Amino acid sequence: MTATVTPIFLKNVASGQAINAELLDAVEQQQLIDWVMHWLPVRDKYLHALKTAQAPAAAWPQSAHWNWVSKVVQIQGLLAHRALCVVCENVTQGMMRIDVAGKRCRIASQKGLDLVYVDYLEIAPWNWEGPYFDPPRYRGVGTVLLRAAIETSLAEGFKGRIGLHSLPQSTIFYERCGLTNCGPDPASQWKLPYFEMTPENTQAFLGKGTRQ
Amino acid sequence: MKKTMTLNLTDAEMQVLEELSAKKDLSKTALLRQALRLYQMVEVRLEKGDKLFFEDDKTKEKAEVMMLS
Repeated sequence: MTATVTPIFLKNVASGQAINAELLDAVEQQQLIDWVMHWLPVRDKYLHALKTAQAPAAAWPQSAHWNWVSKVVQIQGLLAHRALCVVCENVTQGMMRIDVAGKRCRIASQKGLDLVYVDYLEIAPWNWEGPYFDPPRYRGVGTVLLRAAIETSLAEGFKGRIGLHSLPQSTIFYERCGLTNCGPDPASQWKLPYFEMTPENTQAFLGKGTRQ
Repeated sequence: MKKTMTLNLTDAEMQVLEELSAKKDLSKTALLRQALRLYQMVEVRLEKGDKLFFEDDKTKEKAEVMMLS
């Protein structure tokens, strides 16, 4: 299968300029190679910096243990799952895995209806922000991926409804994107906060061109 | 790329499809695509040796759905 490529823009933080990038509706072998060859060395460098600085637990990236090879292999051939990615300057800048059939809405106004559930969304470590990291290279990767989840929801007839469990470090981002924070989910293994987007939230998000 | 097919349903099947489509706020096509995705997911999990259960939310009582292969 060949991925569909959609042209997008990211912000180059150093220059302040918009830069051409691509959204792919698949995570292919090249993305997994990028994850191993590019993401992991930077991630390990940052983890070392955090350890050396004896950084508090809250500063440690909460997705650092994610293994994208396993996450992609797990869903191969399954119609209910998809993976998408953002590529800029020939390197993968972010990846997302979604579930289009296995989860239902929880908010009372749309309880039981179908949604696109974001299993995982992660940006490349050189795009992370924080006092222990180098300045981020690109901004907008997470927003592009979240928008892609919403677009998938619209295309599937789910009217833009999406849901996800957020890592504690990411809750501000999802709140800023207009998702409703439903609070810690007691059924979640780590009691992660559950977020959901309604069709009304979706229109607001798509209308305002949210920044990451 | 999407492909088109004709689907023949009985009156009873069409009635259920229409009721579910209305209940789920989905088109009939969207609902059938969801059904196919879920059917495949169940099939893959059963082939791996997993079991399919319904759990009563209050009593936590589990009832296995028997899928004969």
